[in-house]
Amino acid sequence: MLLEARGIRKSYGGVAALRQASLELRVGEVHAIVGENGAGKSTLIKILTGAVIADEGEIRLDGVPVVGHSPLKARSLGIVAIYQQPALFPDLTVAENIALASETGGAWRILDWKKRRLEAREVLDQIGARIDPECAVSRLSMAEQQLVEIARALRAKAKVLILDEPTASLTEQEALRLFEIIRDLRGRGVGLVYISHRLDELFQIADRVTVLRDGTVIGTEEMASIDRAKMIRMMVGRELSSVFPKVDVPIGEIALETEGLTLRCGEIVGMAGMVGSGRTEFAEELFGLRGGRTVQIRGRECHINSPSRAIELGIAYVPEDRRRNGLIMEMAIPANVGLASLKKLFLSPKAERAVAEDYRTRLQVKAGSMTDPVKTLSGGNQQKVSLARWLATNPKVLILDEPTQGIDVGAKAEIHQQMCELAKAGMAILMISSELPEVLGMSDRIAVMHEGKIVRVVPRSEATQEIILALAIGSRAA
Amino acid sequence: MTRERSALAAWIVLLALLAVLAPAFFAFGNLRDVVLSMVPVLVVAIGMTFVIVSGQIDISIGSQFAVCSIAAGLMAVAGLPMVFVALGTCVLGIAFGLINGALVSWLGVPSIVATLAMMVAAREGLRLGTGGAWVQNLPSTFQWLGLGQGAGQFVILLVAAVLFGVVAWAARNVAGARAVYATGSDAEAARLSGIDTRMVTLAVFAGMGAMAGLAAVLNAIRFSDVQSNAGVGLELKAIAAVVVGGASITGGRGTLVGTLIGVALLGSIGPALTFLGISPYWEKAIQGGIILTAVMGEAIAARRSRLSGRHA
Amino acid sequence: MRRQSFLLGGLLLAEIIIFSLIGTNFLTAANGFEMARSSVELGLLALSLTAVIVTGGIDLSVGSMMGLCAVVFGFLWKDFGFSVWAAAAVAIVIGLAGGALNALAIAWLELPPLIVTLGTYSLFRGLAEGLTGGVQYFSGFPAAFLDFGSGGQIAVFGVAILFFGVLLHTTTIGRGLYAIGCSQSGARYAGIPVARRLSLVYLLSGLSAAIAAVVYVAHIGQAKSDAGTGYELMAITAVVLGGTSIFGGRGTIGGTLLGLATIAVLQNGLRLAALPSEVSGILTGVLLIGSIAIDRLMARPRKASVTNEELDVKNSQVAVLSAVILAGALIVAGSNWWLVRSVRVVGAKPAGAKITIGMMPKTKGDPYFVSCKLGAEEAARELGVDLIWDGPTEMDPAKQNEVVEGWITKGVSAIAVSVSNEASISTVLRKARARGIPVLTWDADAAPDARDFFVNQATPQGIGYTLMDETARILGGKGEFAIVTGTLSAANQNEWIKYIKQRLAEKYPEIHLAVIRPSDDDRDKAFAETQTILKVYPKVRVVMGIATPAVPGAAEAVKQSGRKDVKVTGLTLPSLAKPYVHGGTVESIVLWDTGNLGYLTVYAADAAAKGTLKAGVKEIVAGRLGKIEIAGQQVLLGAPFIFNASNIDRFNF
Repeated sequence: MLLEARGIRKSYGGVAALRQASLELRVGEVHAIVGENGAGKSTLIKILTGAVIADEGEIRLDGVPVVGHSPLKARSLGIVAIYQQPALFPDLTVAENIALASETGGAWRILDWKKRRLEAREVLDQIGARIDPECAVSRLSMAEQQLVEIARALRAKAKVLILDEPTASLTEQEALRLFEIIRDLRGRGVGLVYISHRLDELFQIADRVTVLRDGTVIGTEEMASIDRAKMIRMMVGRELSSVFPKVDVPIGEIALETEGLTLRCGEIVGMAGMVGSGRTEFAEELFGLRGGRTVQIRGRECHINSPSRAIELGIAYVPEDRRRNGLIMEMAIPANVGLASLKKLFLSPKAERAVAEDYRTRLQVKAGSMTDPVKTLSGGNQQKVSLARWLATNPKVLILDEPTQGIDVGAKAEIHQQMCELAKAGMAILMISSELPEVLGMSDRIAVMHEGKIVRVVPRSEATQEIILALAIGSRAA
Repeated sequence: MTRERSALAAWIVLLALLAVLAPAFFAFGNLRDVVLSMVPVLVVAIGMTFVIVSGQIDISIGSQFAVCSIAAGLMAVAGLPMVFVALGTCVLGIAFGLINGALVSWLGVPSIVATLAMMVAAREGLRLGTGGAWVQNLPSTFQWLGLGQGAGQFVILLVAAVLFGVVAWAARNVAGARAVYATGSDAEAARLSGIDTRMVTLAVFAGMGAMAGLAAVLNAIRFSDVQSNAGVGLELKAIAAVVVGGASITGGRGTLVGTLIGVALLGSIGPALTFLGISPYWEKAIQGGIILTAVMGEAIAARRSRLSGRHA
Repeated sequence: MRRQSFLLGGLLLAEIIIFSLIGTNFLTAANGFEMARSSVELGLLALSLTAVIVTGGIDLSVGSMMGLCAVVFGFLWKDFGFSVWAAAAVAIVIGLAGGALNALAIAWLELPPLIVTLGTYSLFRGLAEGLTGGVQYFSGFPAAFLDFGSGGQIAVFGVAILFFGVLLHTTTIGRGLYAIGCSQSGARYAGIPVARRLSLVYLLSGLSAAIAAVVYVAHIGQAKSDAGTGYELMAITAVVLGGTSIFGGRGTIGGTLLGLATIAVLQNGLRLAALPSEVSGILTGVLLIGSIAIDRLMARPRKASVTNEELDVKNSQVAVLSAVILAGALIVAGSNWWLVRSVRVVGAKPAGAKITIGMMPKTKGDPYFVSCKLGAEEAARELGVDLIWDGPTEMDPAKQNEVVEGWITKGVSAIAVSVSNEASISTVLRKARARGIPVLTWDADAAPDARDFFVNQATPQGIGYTLMDETARILGGKGEFAIVTGTLSAANQNEWIKYIKQRLAEKYPEIHLAVIRPSDDDRDKAFAETQTILKVYPKVRVVMGIATPAVPGAAEAVKQSGRKDVKVTGLTLPSLAKPYVHGGTVESIVLWDTGNLGYLTVYAADAAAKGTLKAGVKEIVAGRLGKIEIAGQQVLLGAPFIFNASNIDRFNF
């Protein structure tokens, strides 16, 4: 037994985040943790890494109880976590970032830069990352940054490696490489804790899975003896009829036409492509966030050079990054919901609250109170508020960028349901997604992007995962 | 072109102008005097570099400088040997710095507010205490440390040069200094890496205070008395030099060499104007213009490269 | 946020209570009006700064913009014949232009506001100084305009409060500003035109500064390039004290007003309690830290920054708040008591009791005035009168006015002022006379109808001529000399320079003035400037320092340069020049016995209060000085005195 957590309890101001949670991690095991948002996964991770102290319970590493836990102690014990948001220093170089995670010693230590560069190069090569150690991290892409983080953990000779949604920003290729690395680490005796919403991945990489629901461990199973449906059932506590409730909807007239793409009312167009293929950039251009784009809306040529112009024309964009772009974290729900609809000069708080309440019910947003800042909500509920804001603008064209990323299954289904209803009501929807099953399940047509251009638009009837993937990679076999 | 390089280029242009129009500027005596007058600003700017790199700011050092100068004088009059005067002054500066640091890291007061309050309180307190009197009748060991003008000047320049060299080396090669850069780049990530960011903040302000004290001593020993109201506007000079030299005001980026270039550029303007016969009334306007040009020029260049076709 | 407003309101209340007890005539309508009137300029800046800081930005250039707008206003009215209101309109355009520069750099080039406005802070002030040569100032504005400045500006302030209050708290534009402050990219993605909104707040900031400049000129009657110096930091203090987060996203106009009020009451109250003005600076700093620290210490998960709900305060919080307010009040009271013991002045003055004389230097920190104070205190002791010695710590004509207003409210027996700025002080001095308080000026005069007598050590003409004559004597009738002055805009020095040049032109055709450099009253700068002068103008044989720190600074530079052929002369305290006089670098200095000046002023003021000194009197007896001649309305100490090696050791100041 490598790592053991028993009887963990943690409450925040009277609200229990974890009650009686336990985890067993064997040497050389990939142990998955799944659960809806708010189930307690991130709290458990924080307790394991010492960022948060549990109210009750015990952690043992190699049988030895861990006393006086802290991030520093976790590092010295060899417990390393890699989160969805890269915790790197943007202004420092890759080599320095890698070094800072594994070097110990006082403030007066003198550094050897040559050694640092060599060690960084060595560990980057181990994972096949072609990144220059002298490059400033701020210039790397999200995917490259994550690779640096993994290299960093490797360098730190981690005994326990916790990965929180590691494949969220990786391409299929990079994900496969990651799995190789994981298997390699497993072979060397490292214990890995793997958190992901992409249940299919777990069947590729995990040995066992622990399901959390509402702060309690529902059960731990061998991956071999569980199937997807059972996992979902354990997570949600109910049967989900279908994750993608797509029904066919009559497609109407052209809502928006631009170079390479036509969007029609009632249609859901999925946009697939590798990370870095330019999908978000395309969407941001349509929304007026980068430079200007000329589009045809209902036959008229319009030039979109700012978000406010896009909103005027009936276009709405729900961005990928909720925390930074999708919402104002410090503001409450009504203010966030109303933020894109500030047409008149004067505010009307009552009307704002009414609109917010309306969407709260419609989208089933679970929130403590309407006056709490939205940063207190769980990921899924935050996404719903983000969506509500744009629905409140009554758009004709709705662009969703990774609408269900990092969201629990229950909320995911609710959002998909919403999308179908919106399509039925005549909205044209462009859905950018990296999850192929979602793309295939929800779209009428699928636009595949490769290196900044839309290479093909595939109707649903002809689309398969292989075809889409092939187009995204850029091979000619499609 | 990075800001460091454009500042260097601007300085070279200024020097070239002087070489053509007023070559007397380059007489040894003048260069020595100009460099000596830059020493206090440089020393203070060294401390300010770390403050700004760590993501903070300190606008109280002019007041600290004033208090430390008077303290140095009073200590010397009281009969302390100059070694202890210098040490004592630095300790006083460190004490100020610790107060600032404690306010920022423990009480969570934003550094601009904390040092604003310190700036006003220290200067007003000094005036209340001294009534505006200068410190006179200093022992003969005070001016030039008793070594005479030539040797004294040499000592000042030597101390400044050694300090700069050591700190510039340490900024790159000592773990504690890198912790400052890490903290300024992303304080949360630094904490998770096991860096005690509170200690970093405290240390950075304490170091700043030490620099203010040292600068006060290096400046005071050039004279035979201590004036009551020294260092007015010193913090702005230091901040401007650090920023013109390429540091990011949000933290995480900045070099000592850049600061040196900034000090050299901004410190040359005053004497250059006199040598070029330009009315002193325009000095402030020119300094402001340089700061703006340095900062805006870089932004315009960055913008142009950003918009000229780059896909993510 | 609410918590901080609550705290601040309590603190304000505590201040008011304490000052009404220890300050004379504090809680009167007239005093309240005075406080309001003098806070308008600062208030205008604080209002627009609130909007700027809410967006997460900052504007350090507002004070300098006041200076620039003031001189443009003055130029257009005086030299171009614009009407006052047309000139004001153009000044406002200038304010908008400056704001536009900030807006361009911050909103469109996306540069950090701290650095940009640091640059414009230098640039605007520099332009103001450059345009006026630092020297020129404008006064003599029409009465209607000045009347506006004696009360009308409160209406302007009221309009501004309404405007900003509505803008920030009820409009969608305001909501957008808060969003930008919380998260700039979040606001952009929500369709808020971030660059336009940021431009708006910086434009408004420039506009506010311009209006504040016009109000300032109307208020003190003078347009000069140093208008608004230091105001930006005070305004920021008021805003932050009022609960606005420096990081943006939080803050209210009401809070800012509370912060303003707290500072204004503190300064006014301390003055009326006859406490030194440095104390208010220190206490303001302490207040600033204290209010933020307490807010942080009691921090709980914050409520959302923009909500519409009721104030929600639990009982335990009320208890803690009350305890804190009480503690704060006790601290202020305690510090007052301690200070009162260590400063020899008294607060209240019952009718018919001791005579109280209010005596004000130009600045408290200048050693010259410090030496005057010693003589003044000696006289006060001899006469058994109470002496209130107070004034601005920096050259600040507006502050001088405020201090005098405070004395009027307090009801002192006589006022004696060394005037920084003739035009602005004259209004308030006339008011004092109208109230029956005898007014004297000393060292530097006001308008003749604004004071009863002027205690004159020597006329500016006398000083200028003596300085020039000394210099000529040292040069032997021909050669080059340089002048190191105080600040470029100092009125006294510029007067003397005028007469020096006059004398030079009339009597010394073979002497040439090479250059005039400023020392900003900083010995170290005088030192550096002199070093440069010696190199750029190698033919200069005399350096004339005409500010107190300039002579020792120049002398040290000459000494260190080893140039035995160069001598230094000028105007400074003997004690500062002594070492150089003995060392041979300083030939002589020109001054007068400053202690005697202070001594005589107090005697004259006392005589005026008692009625012995009134129009038509030809001489008075001033203690150990004996009989002092009065010429017209001038009480003359004597001619300028030349200190040199033969007599300098006799003097102790």
